[in-house]
Amino acid sequence: MMVTVKLFGNLRDLGAASVSEMPGHTVRDAISALCVENETLREAIFDGDVLMPHVRVMINGRDIELAEGLDTRLQGGEQIAIFPPIAGG
Amino acid sequence: MEGWAGRILDIDLSSGTIEIYPLNMDMATMYLGGRGLGARLLWDLVGPEVEPLSSENVLIFATGPLTASGAQTSNRFSVTTKSPLTGTILDANSGGWWGMRFKRTGYDALIVRGKAAKPSLIEITPDGVSIKDASHLWGQTVLETTAALGQNNNKRNVLCIGPAGENLSRISAIMNDGHRSLARGGVGAVMGSKNLKAIVTVGTDKNKAHDPDQFKFMLYETGKIIKQSPLTSKGLPQFGTAVVMNVVNEIGALPTRNFQQSQFENAEAISGERMTETILVKKRACWACPISCTRVTKTERMEGEGPEYESTWAFGAQCGIDDLELIAEANYLCNDLGLDTISMGSTIGCAMELTEKGLLDGDLRFGRADKLHETIYDTAYRKGLGDDMAEGSYRMAEKYGAPELSMSGKKLEMPAYDPRGMQGQGLLYATSNRGACHMRGNMLGPEVLALPRLVDRLATQGKAGIVAVHQDTAAVVDSLVICKFTNMAATEEHFARLLTAISGRLFTAQDLSQIGRRIWNLERLYNLREGFTVADDTLPDRLLNEPVAEGPSEGFTVNLEPMLQEYYDFRGWDSQGVPEPEILEELELTELLERA
Repeated sequence: MMVTVKLFGNLRDLGAASVSEMPGHTVRDAISALCVENETLREAIFDGDVLMPHVRVMINGRDIELAEGLDTRLQGGEQIAIFPPIAGG
Repeated sequence: MEGWAGRILDIDLSSGTIEIYPLNMDMATMYLGGRGLGARLLWDLVGPEVEPLSSENVLIFATGPLTASGAQTSNRFSVTTKSPLTGTILDANSGGWWGMRFKRTGYDALIVRGKAAKPSLIEITPDGVSIKDASHLWGQTVLETTAALGQNNNKRNVLCIGPAGENLSRISAIMNDGHRSLARGGVGAVMGSKNLKAIVTVGTDKNKAHDPDQFKFMLYETGKIIKQSPLTSKGLPQFGTAVVMNVVNEIGALPTRNFQQSQFENAEAISGERMTETILVKKRACWACPISCTRVTKTERMEGEGPEYESTWAFGAQCGIDDLELIAEANYLCNDLGLDTISMGSTIGCAMELTEKGLLDGDLRFGRADKLHETIYDTAYRKGLGDDMAEGSYRMAEKYGAPELSMSGKKLEMPAYDPRGMQGQGLLYATSNRGACHMRGNMLGPEVLALPRLVDRLATQGKAGIVAVHQDTAAVVDSLVICKFTNMAATEEHFARLLTAISGRLFTAQDLSQIGRRIWNLERLYNLREGFTVADDTLPDRLLNEPVAEGPSEGFTVNLEPMLQEYYDFRGWDSQGVPEPEILEELELTELLERA
């Protein structure tokens, strides 16, 4: 399955394109594919097997925490957005 | 001074009388300072018979027990009044240096009454308090006035209005330290109606702690938490508040073209990330702030502070504009003329829709970035359509036959979150005491950023308690007075310990929660006394009855009614939104009604 992965905030400074097409059957697969050979990006997103605190991941605008988290299955064509810790108002 | 200076400065501009009297410490411990103290004082001073732009209205500038203490972000202060835009109780809150300097003059609050016979300014220095002629300043912009009065962040701080406030615009702001704003609800017009151009402060008293060792320890603890949190140590400093533009757009909650859509196709072009790449010069911090969310920016033609997320949205997505330089310039102009950027941008967007629907003549249409400068000037100086815009979006839209096109609550223009995509935010807007406002308990935290935990933004059940608790916490933070960004890392437990250490009086987190509830309910009582009812706890028809057409929030309207009833229940109010007697008893508010 190919999906679009979008990076925001300072994740864009870590060597990967802001928007990429990635393969994966799950959200975890797609993000891991993005982090291949980019340990800096991987460490910014993952804390072991889970997301780093305050990192948010969305599929088509819905937080994956409301689905099956990183194990949410993909159909193909989804937009995955990854946000680092941010705040505002 | 251990937390509280213990004095109130009370100036009557009509008579020229300057009085100083003790702060009622029972009142201080029940309401803290800032917004809470302002609400309590306004309850006594300004009743339903008072017109907001009459000399009987007052301005209450108030600091809190933490102001000027050196606690992180202890620079903030508030002004409380009856709003000429909404008719509700209204407090506005600002950062920078003026609040700290005013506290250092040795007062907790300044009450300004009456109306001067001619343009005047107030000067508060170690030599005393004086009312001076400001005729030579009347007509000057904020930056001109600030410079003329000798602004120096570290010594002498100027608070003033610009032409918009002088011309009694209902969306005018009061500015301090050149670029910081007490923005919402037309506070600038109240100051203008008093012929008061500026307040200058020079003060050196220190707000020293009763228990200096414990206070120092708490400063260390709070500083550590702020540094450890990536929100306050990385995200905000690096990108400023506009960094949330993309995430709010991603979830389909970015109001676009006057809330006709909930995603902006060019959100990236006006994001915090783009700002950092293009117009950012440097970040800046208010006094005693380790976070530095302020942006200093520069375009080809101008420079200044900001724009913040809200301002960027207001002149951006709200108006269908993606030119970041022109958006930044609109922000600078509003600051210099003394206008609320949210209300200004929102009102422009409203006018754009009125034009496109054939209800307004002219060419002020969505996407017309080239019209921003002249529209803002016209509003400040009440020229042409600007005269209508100066009244705010609701009164303007009503004049042209379509009040439903004003995206406002209680006539306060709504900020940068479409509540159809964030149901709890809709409840917040509808119940906010000063009108639709995100700063009364922003649900961006729980509904989007998972702060402290994620709740489904599209669900309605169970939102009432979260909204109410956020509202109460915001009231406490606004009364201490510190910055809400500190609250993204530190908790009420930290604030209670800081307050105990500085004042020598024991406060717990539960005490602060109680105080927050008390302030919220007092504001509610004030509005009820003004004649507001359950019918005013509502949202524009578009948000209640027009589903979002496309995007991640497609098909949703705000399902307000069940949330509202759950909210009244949670608050201990009856079905008409009136606090029950036992709640008033618990919060020690009954005596206010008995005396009324």
